Amino acid sequence: MLQAIELTKQYTPNRQTIPALNALNLRVQPGDIYCLLGQNGAGKTTTINLFLGFLEPTSGQALVGGMNVTDHLSETRRLLAYLPETVMLYPNLTGLENLRFFSSLAGFHYSTDELAGFLTTAGLQASAHTSRVGKYSKGMRQKVGIAIALAKRARVLLLDEPTSGLDPKAANEFSDILRRLSADGAAILMATHDIFRAREVGTHIGIMRAGRLVETLTTPDLTAQELEAIYLQTV
Amino acid sequence: MILLAVKNFVRSGGVRIGLLFLLVAGLASLLVGHQFLNRQQTAVADARAFQQKDFRRSAAVHSHELGLLLYYLKFSLVNETSPLSGLSIGQRDVNASVQSVTIRALEGQKYDADLTNPTNQLLGNLDFSFVLIYLFPLLIIAFTYNIISEEKESGTWRIVAVQSNNLLRFVGQLFLIRLLTLLGLLLILLALAVPLLGIAPDASFGLFLATSVLYVLFWFGVSVWVASLQQRSSVNAMLLLGIWLGLVVVLPAIVNTYITTRYPVPEALATTLAQRKGYHEKWDMDRTQTMTRFYAHYPQFKHNPVPDSGFSWLWYYAMQQLGDDESATQADELKARLLQREAASRTIARFIPTLHTQLQLNDLARSGLGNQLRFLDYTSRFHEKKRLYFYPKLINNAPVSAERWDAFPVETFTDRAPVGYVGVLAPLLLFILGLAGFGWVNLSRSVYRL
Repeated sequence: MLQAIELTKQYTPNRQTIPALNALNLRVQPGDIYCLLGQNGAGKTTTINLFLGFLEPTSGQALVGGMNVTDHLSETRRLLAYLPETVMLYPNLTGLENLRFFSSLAGFHYSTDELAGFLTTAGLQASAHTSRVGKYSKGMRQKVGIAIALAKRARVLLLDEPTSGLDPKAANEFSDILRRLSADGAAILMATHDIFRAREVGTHIGIMRAGRLVETLTTPDLTAQELEAIYLQTV
Repeated sequence: MILLAVKNFVRSGGVRIGLLFLLVAGLASLLVGHQFLNRQQTAVADARAFQQKDFRRSAAVHSHELGLLLYYLKFSLVNETSPLSGLSIGQRDVNASVQSVTIRALEGQKYDADLTNPTNQLLGNLDFSFVLIYLFPLLIIAFTYNIISEEKESGTWRIVAVQSNNLLRFVGQLFLIRLLTLLGLLLILLALAVPLLGIAPDASFGLFLATSVLYVLFWFGVSVWVASLQQRSSVNAMLLLGIWLGLVVVLPAIVNTYITTRYPVPEALATTLAQRKGYHEKWDMDRTQTMTRFYAHYPQFKHNPVPDSGFSWLWYYAMQQLGDDESATQADELKARLLQREAASRTIARFIPTLHTQLQLNDLARSGLGNQLRFLDYTSRFHEKKRLYFYPKLINNAPVSAERWDAFPVETFTDRAPVGYVGVLAPLLLFILGLAGFGWVNLSRSVYRL
C-alpha cells in the first residue's frame, strides 16, 4: 500500500543543499505497522510529509496504493488518514462537531450516534463530546484526531508521534486500536520516539539517521531491550 | 459541512463584534441620509413658502413699477433631490439645491449660495457610500486575511488537506461564507434604506445595489488574490491594509492633486467680478453703445428704443445683460475646466475601483459634479426664460397688477442624464474577474502544498 522508491528530499536555503531524506526505500503492506524511529531531524516527518504530498520529492517516488503521490495527489489522499503529533482542531466547535466537519470533508456523513461511537472508541469521555474543543487538553484533541482517522475508514494510516500527549491508559488503548486496524488490513506507517511502543505494536521497525534508513528490523525477533540497544548504537 | 463552517465562523467573538460595528455604522449612515433628505425637503419647502410670500408682499409694495419689482423678485429653481442621495450625499451638501435668481445679471448669482456644512467638508459625511467604500473593505480584510494562513499556522490545515476531497472547493466555501455574510448585511442596510429614505425600487436603485454588490465582490477578489500568494497571516494583513490605504486614501488624493494641477479652475469670483465690471462701467458709457449690443443679442427688441436721457428699466436690464455677456469668456472657461476635471476623473477612475464606485454612486444619486454642472446649465436656461418673458413687459411698461404672481411656482430641475449600465459595472466586473481568476489559478497550483 505504501512504498518509497529512492525517495529523496533536499532543501536548498541560501544555495546550500541540505539533505532531509536520502534515497529512502521502504514498503508497508496491508496489515503492517511500520514504525520509524530516529532522533529529531532524522527524516521521519519528512517521509510522512512526502507520502502526504505536503512536500515534493527532489527525486524518487512516494507511492500510495500504487499511485505516485506527486501525480495523483487527490486520489492518494483519499486513501490516507493522518494523525499529527499535535492535533489542532477548530476551537469554536465541539468535539462532535469537529468530527462531523472533518468526516464530511472526506465525504462521510455519519449520524450523531455513529460519530459519538468513534469518539468513544478513541477514548474521549462522553461528557466531553459536546464541549467546545477550545477547552480540550492536548490529549483530548489527540483522541478526536484518532476518531477522525477512524471515521475515514482509510486503508493507509500515517501517524506522526501519535501518542504524544496521551496518558498511559489512552496510549495503550491507542495501541489496541492500531492492532485492530492492522488486523483489518490497514497499512500503518508511524513515526515515533517511543521505542517501547514501537516494539509493542510494530510489525516492522526502521531506524533513521540523517535522512537515511540505516536499520530495518522485524519485531517478533526482538525484545524491547535488544531494540533499545540497537537503537542507541545506530543513532 | 458548510453549516459547521458557518457555525465556526460566527462563533468567533471578533466576527460578531465586526458585524455589529458595521451594522451600527450602516444604520448611522442611514440616519445621516435621512437627516440630509429632511434638510433638503425643508429647504425646498422654505423656498416655496418664501417665494410665494415675497412675491405677494413685493408686488404690493412695488405695485406701480414692474422694473423695480423685478429688481427684487427672486425666482427659485430646485435641483431635485433623489432619495438615493440620502445614501450617497456626494457634493449635494456643498452645492446649494435651491438657486434663487433675479432677472438681473446671472453669473454673480450662480455662486453666491452659502455653504451649509463647512465642517463636514473637512470630515466628509458618514453616509452609506462612506460605509461601503471605507468600512466594508476593512471588515472584508478582517474576515479573510487569514483564511488559509491561519489554518496553516494553527495546524488545522494539515488535517483539512488530508481529509478534504476537494481542497479548492473547501477554500471557496470559506470565502463564500464570508461573502454571503457581508452581502447579507449590505442587503439588510439597503432594504432598510428603501422605506426610511423613501427610495423607489427602480432601475437606478437596482444599479446602485448592483454597484455596491460588485464593490464588495471586488474586495473579495483582492482577498482571494492575496490568499493565493500563500504568505503568513501578518503579511497578508499588511498587504491587504496597504492595498486598502492605497485605493481608498492615497490614490484618490494623488488623482485629486493631479487633476487640480492639470486643470486649474479659475475662481468663480473672477467671473463675478468680470460680470460686475461689465455692468457697472455701462453707467458711464454712451447708452447707445449699450443698447446696440443689447439689440445685437436680442434682435427681436431692436424696434424698442430707450430714451436718450433719464432712467429706463430696459436700459438698466440691458446693462445687466451686458455684464453677463462680457463675463461669458470667464464663465465658459470655468465650465470647460470643470467639465475637463469631470472627464479626467472618470477616465482615471476606471482604473481605481474605489474612485469609480464613489463616482458612479454619486451619479446614480444625482449628487456628483456632473449633476451640479447640469443644474447650473439649467439655471442659465431658467434665467433666460424669465428674461425673455419679462423683457417685452418691461418694454410695454405692463402694469404689475396684470401679472398673476402666484402663477410663478418654484420650478424643479430633474436630472435625466442617462447612466449606462456597462460604463458603471464593466470596470468593476473586469477587476473582479481578473483578481479572482488570477487568484484562483494561483490557489489551484499551491493550495495542496504546505
